[in-house]
Amino acid sequence: MSAPVSETATAALHEPDAPVEQPRGGRTPWWANQRIGLLILVVALGALFGILRPAFFNQQLVVFPLLRDIAMFTVVGLAQMCVLSIGHMNLAVGRMAAFSMMITGISYDLWHFSLYAGLLVGLIAGTAIGALAGWVIARTGVNSFVVTLALDFLLLGLIPLVYTGLTDNAAFVTKPEGMREMRNYSLADICIGNVCGSPAVPQLALFAVIAMVVVGWIYSRTKLGRELLMTGTSVKAAELSGIPTARRVITAHAMSGCLAALAGFMLAVSTGSIKATIGEEFMLPSFLGPILGGTLLAGGFISVWGTMLGTALTSVIRKGLDLLGVGLESLNIYLGLILLVALSTDRVRTVLSDRQGVRER
Amino acid sequence: MKATLRFARTTEMTLLVIGVVFFVFLVIASHGDLLEANSLRVLLQFLAVPVLIGLAQMVVLAVGQLNLAVGAVGGFAACAMGVLMADHGVPVPLALLIGFLLASVAGLLNGLLVVLTRINGFIVTLATMTVLLGVQYRLVGTRTVDAYPQGLKSFGSYAVFGVLPLIFLVALVVAGLLAVMLRRTVPGRQLLASGGNPIAARLSGISNDRSVIIAHTLSGAILGVAAILTVASSPGVNKSIGGDWLLPSFAAPIIGGALLTGGSAVVLGTVLAAFIVRFVDTARAEFSLEPSWVNFVVGTVVLGSVVLGQVRTRRQERRTVVKAPDAAVAGGVS
Amino acid sequence: MTLFEAFEVDKLFPGVRALDGVTLKLEAGSVHALLGENGAGKSTLIKVITGLYKPDGGRLLLDGQEVHFGSPHESASAGIGVVHQERNLIPGFTVGENILLQKLPTSRGLVDRGRVRSEAARWLAELDLDIDPDLPVTELSVAQAQLVEIAKALSVESRVLLLDEPTASITPNEAERLFRVVEKLKNDGRSVLFVSHKLEEVFQICDTVTVLRDGSSVLESGALADLTRDQVVDLMVGRVHEALTLPPRTVGDAAPLLELSGVGTASGHAEVDLTVRPGEIVGLYGLVGAGRSELAKALLGLDRITAGEVRVRGQAVRIRNVRDALKNHKIGYVTENRKEEGVFLEQSVARNIAVTVWDRLLKRLGRIPGLSYVPKKTESELVAGYVEQLGIRIASPEQLAGTLSGGNQQKVSLAKWLAAKTEILIIDEPTVGIDVRTKDAFHTLIWDLAANGLAILLITSDLPEMITLADRVVVMRDHRVRGEVTNTHDYDTMSQQVIRLIHAGTTAAA
Repeated sequence: MSAPVSETATAALHEPDAPVEQPRGGRTPWWANQRIGLLILVVALGALFGILRPAFFNQQLVVFPLLRDIAMFTVVGLAQMCVLSIGHMNLAVGRMAAFSMMITGISYDLWHFSLYAGLLVGLIAGTAIGALAGWVIARTGVNSFVVTLALDFLLLGLIPLVYTGLTDNAAFVTKPEGMREMRNYSLADICIGNVCGSPAVPQLALFAVIAMVVVGWIYSRTKLGRELLMTGTSVKAAELSGIPTARRVITAHAMSGCLAALAGFMLAVSTGSIKATIGEEFMLPSFLGPILGGTLLAGGFISVWGTMLGTALTSVIRKGLDLLGVGLESLNIYLGLILLVALSTDRVRTVLSDRQGVRER
Repeated sequence: MKATLRFARTTEMTLLVIGVVFFVFLVIASHGDLLEANSLRVLLQFLAVPVLIGLAQMVVLAVGQLNLAVGAVGGFAACAMGVLMADHGVPVPLALLIGFLLASVAGLLNGLLVVLTRINGFIVTLATMTVLLGVQYRLVGTRTVDAYPQGLKSFGSYAVFGVLPLIFLVALVVAGLLAVMLRRTVPGRQLLASGGNPIAARLSGISNDRSVIIAHTLSGAILGVAAILTVASSPGVNKSIGGDWLLPSFAAPIIGGALLTGGSAVVLGTVLAAFIVRFVDTARAEFSLEPSWVNFVVGTVVLGSVVLGQVRTRRQERRTVVKAPDAAVAGGVS
Repeated sequence: MTLFEAFEVDKLFPGVRALDGVTLKLEAGSVHALLGENGAGKSTLIKVITGLYKPDGGRLLLDGQEVHFGSPHESASAGIGVVHQERNLIPGFTVGENILLQKLPTSRGLVDRGRVRSEAARWLAELDLDIDPDLPVTELSVAQAQLVEIAKALSVESRVLLLDEPTASITPNEAERLFRVVEKLKNDGRSVLFVSHKLEEVFQICDTVTVLRDGSSVLESGALADLTRDQVVDLMVGRVHEALTLPPRTVGDAAPLLELSGVGTASGHAEVDLTVRPGEIVGLYGLVGAGRSELAKALLGLDRITAGEVRVRGQAVRIRNVRDALKNHKIGYVTENRKEEGVFLEQSVARNIAVTVWDRLLKRLGRIPGLSYVPKKTESELVAGYVEQLGIRIASPEQLAGTLSGGNQQKVSLAKWLAAKTEILIIDEPTVGIDVRTKDAFHTLIWDLAANGLAILLITSDLPEMITLADRVVVMRDHRVRGEVTNTHDYDTMSQQVIRLIHAGTTAAA
């Protein structure tokens, strides 16, 4: 440590009788922590549904697909979370997934790529389309909402055109080796010695785990992640602290596109087909997960665990209500209400930090 | 004279020129077929609802908000009307009135939620959209409800002189009323003031909250009319009504020159933009292309028009920024 | 006759007494000046008078009656019109509608455009303005927009008019026109409160003056005729409250670290020459609007440099952005706008300090190139070091910066540049809104940084601060350098010299 501050200055700066400035309100008690609250809620609801309908615990028919859904929507949520971290939105998250899977489908169909090579091509395509959105936003300064909305529109037109041009039934039929198996493989198929995993956990979930670890590591430990959060908190201050904000905007959108592609791949594997409609239902869950999990819409704060738990909560409720006989489509009513309630909590938190004089909007 | 010059430079004028050129092109491409009464009628028939949903979005954009629930509100109201008439035998006028009121209340609710919770309007309307989609499905399930009186259907397909569909005229009347409301009434002016400069509006004693609620309610009411026209003009209502409204609802005002930051009332621009989008669709049919082309073209146009708009405002800003210090330098010399 | 009076008004903010027993009397038919340096409390007082802030003590009296304003609208209805620094017109509306926005005339439910035109024309005529009421306000010049705002303020029959720095962004000719309008208002028996930094204007049009310093009124409603310009300046800037004893420091004659020659910028600077040597504090003095912060931002690449040359360590450079300045030239900038540009209010103190040094801390992960992370331990040690050295009073480095007081936030804002080991530091208004004792500590720190060899460009409107710290004072006005004074640290002679430079040129031309 060799800061150019001498002892005289340090002595002058110290105010021995000045009180330490405590964050008003003190530390949040553990039970008020949003993520722990979510975890308890998920477990409690799971137990409740299990008691009402013992079939809820059926490993093969319920738990396995439930976990597969949670895994996929967690990745969708992470895709949205990446842009929320800089205070932006990505309305084209589903269409980016469709676009990437279209490229993956082409790579399987025309170029006869292997399963993972195709995934890689898809991820690159997703990253590229996301970076394009970010580039337009950074260059023109147009609101991310409009840019991604227009891009959504554009892709909505483009994707079916390509499908009709290249396929007979608006779906790529060539399936690389291993795709069908991956759909049903669980941890039970992975053995170390005699110890095998649980048959209830799909192998696909590993993709989500990898995504969570990578994204979580980026945001908590790397310079990139910190710079994204700083940009989300205040673009002006970030620019004046030497952060390349334009490049960070592009990075955030590229990450979003890449994760959207991964989610698209997981959906393609679990439904067994690569078609134009992939990702159509991604938009609402993409916001539900992160926001329920505590990610701020205004940017500057994210939670990877929260995104996973928020997604788990909605998926458990969806599945549970489905088993209780609530029509699948009317589930929307409950999901919408959950979102409103979740946001009121987001709002309450904002009000609380307002009171502490932290936030100025 | 000055006013005419000013109009010549507006987005509306540009759109008008593009629209006319496009139309002439279509007429030539169709070897004059498009000028036949029947073709014109079909062209205008399918314009009524797009005009209205564009306006429903425009009015919330004017106050600096947005409404993701346009399709859900419209679809829900349309299905409610259909079910009331077909399943419960409610007389047509009463059913239409109830549907219209339901849509208005849904809009009012959006406004109230935004104002009371201070949650971002994007999320509020995303949530109400989801809820209403569920309700719409509850109402009709997988059926198509079409057993409502023939009178309503003939209203929907009636055309004055065989050319001007009644429902298109209704849409134009709504557009006219909205224009008068935004230009000439005190609540309309206050709404635009709140959108244009909320701080100045507040200092002038205008309630920005009230403006937001009025805008959302108006949006709901316009969607109510759109729902009535949909019920009247389509063979039946089902769960997919309104499903494809969201993107066109943004396309028309944005192409029409609306600012997302609020404060712009572009009724004419929105109507003209709806015309142009319709022409794109007509051209698509004329050359028997995939329907997807329409979305692709419109998406490109929307992106292009916002980017161009942004470049234009930036250039203007640069000009004004340069102006002030120049003046200061001049002051130093004098 | 006293139209309006603020009597012993107090306003408290967490940790700061923004207004301390301020008294102000506005007479009918007179123009009253409100003077004070940045942070003296002028805008707080205006916000109290217009109902944006609730006073914590004292009374507001209108026509001798006590009044309480809950909102700006209430004060406007009571007859107090304001023209704010920010433009408050609705962009899409006409001049007439903007003037009458508070109560648009209607007939049969519709806005009556004829009456809008005629009534607006009446107010415009009252001010002798030749502006078409049907013109959209977007087509007005800045000066015209301001005059329209005065007409708008009058349209609610206001008898008291507050003009907040109305001449900040208009030319002298336009200002003359504004003054004729003010003269007319005064002759009509209204009372005008004129807030300005430009003393010559104040002496030209005002009758009485109130001077604020550090939140108190050091002169209450004095007649300007009895005062000299120097007396007013003395009141505004204040005597050095007590001599701060700083150890002697000598500036070597090493080659300059930062040199500007003939620099012109897109925001209007011309022929700016400036040098800063290592170990030297160069003060950049001038009134608000002289273009000092703008010059700093141009140096950092945030505005275009259109002429001249910038040399860093003798090399001609073209700095693209703050990142470039920091990484390649070791230049740091402590902004004047602490809350929006200086600190990340919603991030932890630790991240606020470490933001400039993540590059340096990075550790490779494994042997894969490009894969690196910020080691938490090194980061927190570094942060703890600065927290300790600068005496930042926090419970934990994870505390959000927004929960700190202004002084501590400023320390955080400075700490990131110290952590980055910058060699050239541009410090913009470091002590605005900071209490006197912390101010002294900051002065010691800045002095000390220079003693350690940093080249410091200090921008401040606080003359005592300037005279305490700077080795040389460069005076700017209207985006040009007007002269340079070597600091003798003697307050009286220095302030006279500096103020003479500021006024040089204007008095001759006028």
